[in-house]
Amino acid sequence: MNQWAFVIAAYAVTAGATIVMSIMSWRAMGSAERAADRLSDRA
Amino acid sequence: MKAKHQRLVLALVALASIIGAGLLAASALKDEAAYFYAPADVKAKGVEPGRAIRLGGMVVKGSLKRAADGVTIRFNVTDGKARVPATFSGIAPDLFKEGSGVVAEGAFDDKGTFVATNLLAKHDERYMPRELEGMQYNETTHEMKVTP
Amino acid sequence: MSPPCHKKAGSAAPTQRFPTCAIGKKPYWRSPPGAATHAALMHRFANPARFLKIARPLTQWLFWPGLALILIGAGCGLLVTPADYLQGQTVRILYIHVPAAWLGMGGWTGIALAALVQLVWRHPLAAIAGRAIAAPGALFTAICLATGSIWGRPTWGTWWEWDGRMTSMLVLLFLYLGYIALAQASARDGQGGVSHVTAIFGLVGAVNIPIINRSVVWWNSLHQGPSITMRGSTIETTLLWPLGLTLLGFSLWFGAIVLMRMRAILAQNKVEARMQRLARG
Repeated sequence: MNQWAFVIAAYAVTAGATIVMSIMSWRAMGSAERAADRLSDRA
Repeated sequence: MKAKHQRLVLALVALASIIGAGLLAASALKDEAAYFYAPADVKAKGVEPGRAIRLGGMVVKGSLKRAADGVTIRFNVTDGKARVPATFSGIAPDLFKEGSGVVAEGAFDDKGTFVATNLLAKHDERYMPRELEGMQYNETTHEMKVTP
Repeated sequence: MSPPCHKKAGSAAPTQRFPTCAIGKKPYWRSPPGAATHAALMHRFANPARFLKIARPLTQWLFWPGLALILIGAGCGLLVTPADYLQGQTVRILYIHVPAAWLGMGGWTGIALAALVQLVWRHPLAAIAGRAIAAPGALFTAICLATGSIWGRPTWGTWWEWDGRMTSMLVLLFLYLGYIALAQASARDGQGGVSHVTAIFGLVGAVNIPIINRSVVWWNSLHQGPSITMRGSTIETTLLWPLGLTLLGFSLWFGAIVLMRMRAILAQNKVEARMQRLARG
């Protein structure tokens, strides 16, 4: 099934990009909000 | 409040004029931005032999013939208004078949036959399963037939 | 803004060009910088506080249902729906290609709307929203181009052709990259939001959106015409339904990513504002 190779490739590209963007955005938000919370704790 | 309204009107007028200009430019590009010539365009404008163009349309049903050498195929391309004979030697894409869309790259020869150097299959906007209710798909002719 | 004081007739010296308004002993135009920035600061933090109250829980409510819908839709699109009569199995790329195209174009529409709100109403959150949308919007445009290329090879017989639809979509990707570069270059002076120039660029770039949409109608193209129009769909229902799931799923997920990025920018603002206050002593 040669056609499936193309389908799998397209889904893999999308899945990879989606996962990477999810993790990056989640981490950036988490570290930024933790830093902001630390400031409010000290204040 | 007044400044805000001024900015709103200014932004909307600017946006409208930009989009208007863009669309005007895009519609003026109509011919230049066309990806291929339809057979009717070829008949109307006349494309000189030897000039590299793309020819697009439907492969006329029943016109697809394989030459004796086994590699060269001959077929007619139509857009419903005109039809043009074409020939191609090489491997056609899987979706290239009679009654389906094609975009051929190549040039016309002196006799008015389009000699394609590359074939692309173009499909239309319909998507449907092979086994529609009351329909049957023929694997060899790629046609949908209503089953009695 | 007019000064809240009345010019005393005859009392002003003839050479004086500004009316003197005594609040304490300082003339109004020489108020200390702290007073003006205080008002700006209030404006800046009043809205984010309300925004964050909604955004914090909403992020998860968009992210997880979005992800679930994507997985269900993609799973059904891979395993449940039948193959296309002409294209066979490759039609399954539709379920990710179409949402990617929709969000790539929808993202820029969001950038243009945010730019309008930023330029007209000077809303600081709009400037932040513009920056937050850019990365996921560019990503989906790239996914749309990549999956389209992968789809084009087995169906059309080519990875890439310069037809109207593909070219205008590539232009959209370049617009995103330009917007991101502009936003990065102006990161310092906008309190985390994009600069006015970047917003204007976002507004002007919106001209490409209707061109992408109409490209297959105006021009002969290799890409087929629109399947889903006001008059209905030329995709059979048995093939169509997972597309609804992935469209909704990717849209929710997109919203969650934008909220995450906005929250990150707002938190960074808070830290930076504190650092500046500390530095000033």
